[in-house]
Amino acid sequence: MQTPQIDSARIAETSHGLERSEIERREKVFTVSDLAVHYGGMPAIEEVTLDVHRNTVTAFIGPSGCGKSTFIRCFNRMNDLIPAAKVSGTVLYHGADLYGRDVDPVEVRRRIGMVFQKPNPFPKSIYDNVAFGPRVLSMKGSLDERVEGALRHAALWEEVKDRLKDSALGLSGGQQQRLCIARCLAVEPDVILMDEPASALDPISTTRIEDLMHGLKREYTIVIVTHNMQQAARVADMTAFFSVVVAEDGSARRGVLVEYDTTAKIFTTPSDKRTEDYVTGRFG
Amino acid sequence: MADEGTPRSAQLAVAGARSATRDALTASSHQDRVTGAVFFALLLLGLGTALLGLVTILIWSFVEGAPRLDAELITNGPSTLSPETAGFRTAILGSIYVILGVIVLIVPLGVGAAIYLEEYADPERWWNRVIELNIQNLAGVPSIVYGILGLAFIVRGPLDLGFVVAAASLTVALLVLPTVIIASREAIRAVPRSIREGALALGATEWQTTSRQVLPIAVPGILTGVILAVARAIGEAAPLLLVGAVTFATFNPSLFEGGYSTLPVLIYNYASRPQEEFRVLAAAGVIVMLVLLLAMNSFAVWLRNRYEQNW
Amino acid sequence: MRIGLQDELDALEAGFQETGEIVLRSIRGVVDALRMQDVELCDEVIAFDDEVDDRYLAIEKQVEMVLARQTPVATDLRLVLALLHNALHLERIGDQCVTIAKLTKLSSHLNTKQAVMESLVDMGERCGEMVKVSLTAFAERDVQQARELHQLDELVDRANRQVFQEVLGYVHDAEALEWGMRQITAARCFERIGDNAVDIGEQTAFLVTGEFAEFTDASH
Repeated sequence: MQTPQIDSARIAETSHGLERSEIERREKVFTVSDLAVHYGGMPAIEEVTLDVHRNTVTAFIGPSGCGKSTFIRCFNRMNDLIPAAKVSGTVLYHGADLYGRDVDPVEVRRRIGMVFQKPNPFPKSIYDNVAFGPRVLSMKGSLDERVEGALRHAALWEEVKDRLKDSALGLSGGQQQRLCIARCLAVEPDVILMDEPASALDPISTTRIEDLMHGLKREYTIVIVTHNMQQAARVADMTAFFSVVVAEDGSARRGVLVEYDTTAKIFTTPSDKRTEDYVTGRFG
Repeated sequence: MADEGTPRSAQLAVAGARSATRDALTASSHQDRVTGAVFFALLLLGLGTALLGLVTILIWSFVEGAPRLDAELITNGPSTLSPETAGFRTAILGSIYVILGVIVLIVPLGVGAAIYLEEYADPERWWNRVIELNIQNLAGVPSIVYGILGLAFIVRGPLDLGFVVAAASLTVALLVLPTVIIASREAIRAVPRSIREGALALGATEWQTTSRQVLPIAVPGILTGVILAVARAIGEAAPLLLVGAVTFATFNPSLFEGGYSTLPVLIYNYASRPQEEFRVLAAAGVIVMLVLLLAMNSFAVWLRNRYEQNW
Repeated sequence: MRIGLQDELDALEAGFQETGEIVLRSIRGVVDALRMQDVELCDEVIAFDDEVDDRYLAIEKQVEMVLARQTPVATDLRLVLALLHNALHLERIGDQCVTIAKLTKLSSHLNTKQAVMESLVDMGERCGEMVKVSLTAFAERDVQQARELHQLDELVDRANRQVFQEVLGYVHDAEALEWGMRQITAARCFERIGDNAVDIGEQTAFLVTGEFAEFTDASH
């Protein structure tokens, strides 16, 4: 009899995603209240309020220009690097104000890592790429073990274990992105932010990364921005849909949060018509 | 190519289409072709003129100076009395000392300034914009002006070093510093933003990012800038005349004492003498300088090619 | 690859097979209740059907989720569609068992006739067998086994006709006629269970070949 072997623990969390009640029982990692980001006075995104819970995958979807990339960069204070950007509202990280006066952005970024849209390995060896984080942060313990652990976690170890000294630039696109994930994991973050991590990759690499997220979310909290809503449907437990609001005179465009709910709900019975229009592809 | 079964009208249509396409794809009108040829000729003319000057110098100096290409050129000091055995030794040493001093000064100052301007300065602030503007200007200031500056403030004035090698190094360093800053800035700017973002996102500080990621990648570009600046500095004569490159130093130079001379200055000296033998000497000196410059520039090009990365 | 999708499909199929086991239990229960004229067992079977209905709804919901979230294609899509259809067939089989149980209760006070009883029990056991085979064929993706189902169905149909003929003979005995009429309905229910089992077999063929074709059967 060919009944497939079932790992019931894994099934419990994957079959129709986590239930809302289960998600909300988990600790809140981020609490965002009335957040807005302005570039040189013009609002890019406004009135965002939502919570991100531990060990979940939360996806931000929406049309281009809705500010989802701007929003995710608020979580690790990467917007600080843009002089014209101004963040208002509050972001609490485990209850503490992320933008508090004596908060050091460098410490924030150690705990909240980021993987970018286009893989950006350093022009160094594979080993040195992964070791960079632990080195600059003076992490104790065996560097070799950290590097191997991170590469295993990123499902890359088997492919590179015999050529750790080779240049990282010689890897394929999908491998480079997994290397960037390994680099991020090496500093033992709490949260991993991913800004369209697979949009520059081929479908097989994309599936690999999605499968990776399945495993990673058991230990980390993941927030992902994606313009591919099917990807959000596949990987995310909670999905936030952002849309663009155009000013009356047609001049200014800003992003707003339209709906935030379990992925199951967003893709079967969304509450807001704008959400329905977007996920069914009738948007615009 | 047409089948027997294809009707005559279809065959004609195919032939017509074929010739029309061929016409459309063939080269442009006669007018355009002539214009293209004329333009190409003008380009070659410009290039030829530029090369002509260089070739003339090369040929003249080799023809003139060939008789004096011997070991004594380098080992002997200058002499007014016996041009046959006079050499450039003191001047060569003087040039080397001055250049070493220049390198020691421009690398930290130039690279440091470039790092500040690229990584730390907020371009919105007015003083940074002023600095930005003025570095470009400084690169274009005539070198004699730097000589006057050196004379007034370094040789005399506040620093009061006197006519010494150190003063010359300082003066020339100021002269070529803008070049180094500009080249270093370009090299640093060429490092992709994504590298910086990647490093910062891992929790590296700005300084760690700059020192461990940006600078190592920018080093080839910076080095090229430094070498080009040095090549220019070796050939400077005018400002050095003002800060005391005594045209006739018969003794070996030292850093903070006494007089000194440099290669271009001594060439100038020999060239302005009436005797034929001195002219030959001058030409020989020119050959030495050209060889040196060629070596440095080639090294810069090789260095740049070796480390060029494709992003 | 696509761990999430595979897990969801595995869970869906496992849920379906479990529901199948439960429905088999219902069939056995109702056949026993019929043979032993056990009213309490009939009540149990009737109450038990709630479980079958709940499981059916759960599978339906799960299918909706898989389609919305994973957008399966090709074999995966056919599997999901087949599971949806088959879950419905199982639910119908459950309903047939309830009907048979209710009929048994209604006629429990009447005397039974051995010939018809034997035919009914025979039908019950055969269609129980058919459901089991259909579930196995589905799990093993065995189209041949699935096709053989309609031969078994012929036997069930034959027994159904026998019951009908037999009861026609009770026209002179009022009590026997009343009992017999009810048993005709019960036989019809068993026959429907058999048809549903064949339908499950057809879904197996659809899943494997990609084409939906009804197995040729006179009774359809």
